[in-house]
Amino acid sequence: MLRHRVDAQAAYVLHTYPFRETSLIVEVFSRDWGRVSLMARGARRPRSALRGLLMAFQPLELGWSGKGEVQTLTKAEWLGGQPLLSGKALFCGYYLNELLLNLLPREDAHERLFSVYAQTLRRFADGLHEADLRRFECALLSELGYGLTLAHDVEGAGISAEASYAYEIERGPVRLAAPGDSPLCVSGRTLIDLAHDDFTDPRSLAEAKPLMRALITHYTGGKGLETRKIFMELQELS
Amino acid sequence: MKATNSLDHLIESLRCLPGVGPKSAQRIAYYLLQRDRDGAAALAAALMQSLETLRHCQRCNTLTEADICERCLSPQRDASLLCVVESPVDMNMMEQTLAYSGLYYVLMGRLSPLDGVGPRELSLERVLARASDGVVKELILATNFTNEGEATAHYLSEGARARGLSVTRIARGVPVGGELEYVDPGTLAQAVRERRSLA
Ligand SMILES: [Zn+2]
Repeated sequence: MLRHRVDAQAAYVLHTYPFRETSLIVEVFSRDWGRVSLMARGARRPRSALRGLLMAFQPLELGWSGKGEVQTLTKAEWLGGQPLLSGKALFCGYYLNELLLNLLPREDAHERLFSVYAQTLRRFADGLHEADLRRFECALLSELGYGLTLAHDVEGAGISAEASYAYEIERGPVRLAAPGDSPLCVSGRTLIDLAHDDFTDPRSLAEAKPLMRALITHYTGGKGLETRKIFMELQELS
Repeated sequence: MKATNSLDHLIESLRCLPGVGPKSAQRIAYYLLQRDRDGAAALAAALMQSLETLRHCQRCNTLTEADICERCLSPQRDASLLCVVESPVDMNMMEQTLAYSGLYYVLMGRLSPLDGVGPRELSLERVLARASDGVVKELILATNFTNEGEATAHYLSEGARARGLSVTRIARGVPVGGELEYVDPGTLAQAVRERRSLA
């Protein structure tokens, strides 16, 4: 097993679990090492310097060493610049983290995804926009090799903005004679906009949501996401 | 299946204590049985008695022997204020300040979406129902300033607003007597963002 010594790595905490009486297991998304699990010894002691520092959604600089599945956190510094998330944006932050915890394999670097994640959190702090969520979902799927086929339909023909398509997971868009009503039915315009990361057209944005949801449900093995359930309970209040 | 004897059973039972693994459980079991049998008997009796007599107060959710606890019934308290805290320890801290004379609701937890703890698991509906008794004029959210505490406060504030209740959140910032030089940067950053006008 490879022995690591990582000194100053840009990272975010995805989640923490209590371990033994005073320690924490920290699930981390780091720039160069991807997802790693770290043990933060004594982090739950009342006067621990790590208390309050190992907080999700805040840019940190972490150091760790050791070997095996759980390595030892040796250093943590607060980088700043990211306002604390609040309100709905906070719940969306949890959604991003749940996606990463569910889909990201351990110790696989995803630098581009890391920067999209950081950028999405910064945008959340200025107000929540659906487009940021869609952009993150697209980036995540394409980084994991589950990217959508958007340049042509399954027959190899170019996408026509005016046509309707049924998106078949792991195959691509199938051109339809008439618009269908399954979550996987989208207009050619939406596919073209997705290919360009362009969510300015409200219809494309609206159609992308059920499509992304169906893809994510598929790749997370059909299990419902906790954060989505809670978000729905939140919506029911108002 | 192997039949377990009393000792194994005790060790196994001790593991339900937070932070107690198999080794500690074994150590505690031997200690109680060899060194402090009286203490063990007292502990067993106290546990049994607590289980029988203690329940959650119908109003504030803390543990009490009556249906409604003494604090909730006290005429000295201002029943128009209801302060929501995560744990009994937090409530005791609030009491120590002598700055608050209203009533409480103790959540006994916080929202934690990634651990599967949602509004339903935490019975947040009960907090909103409690705050809607017609006497409460202000719901004060004193959950922790962690992501989970913030998420809990947000959910409650949305629910309170939907019911037309007035809701406030305790302030955060530099501690009393705190010198900027020694304040952690996260606290200072948020204090700057939430600065208030003195005009
Ligand atoms: Zn009470």
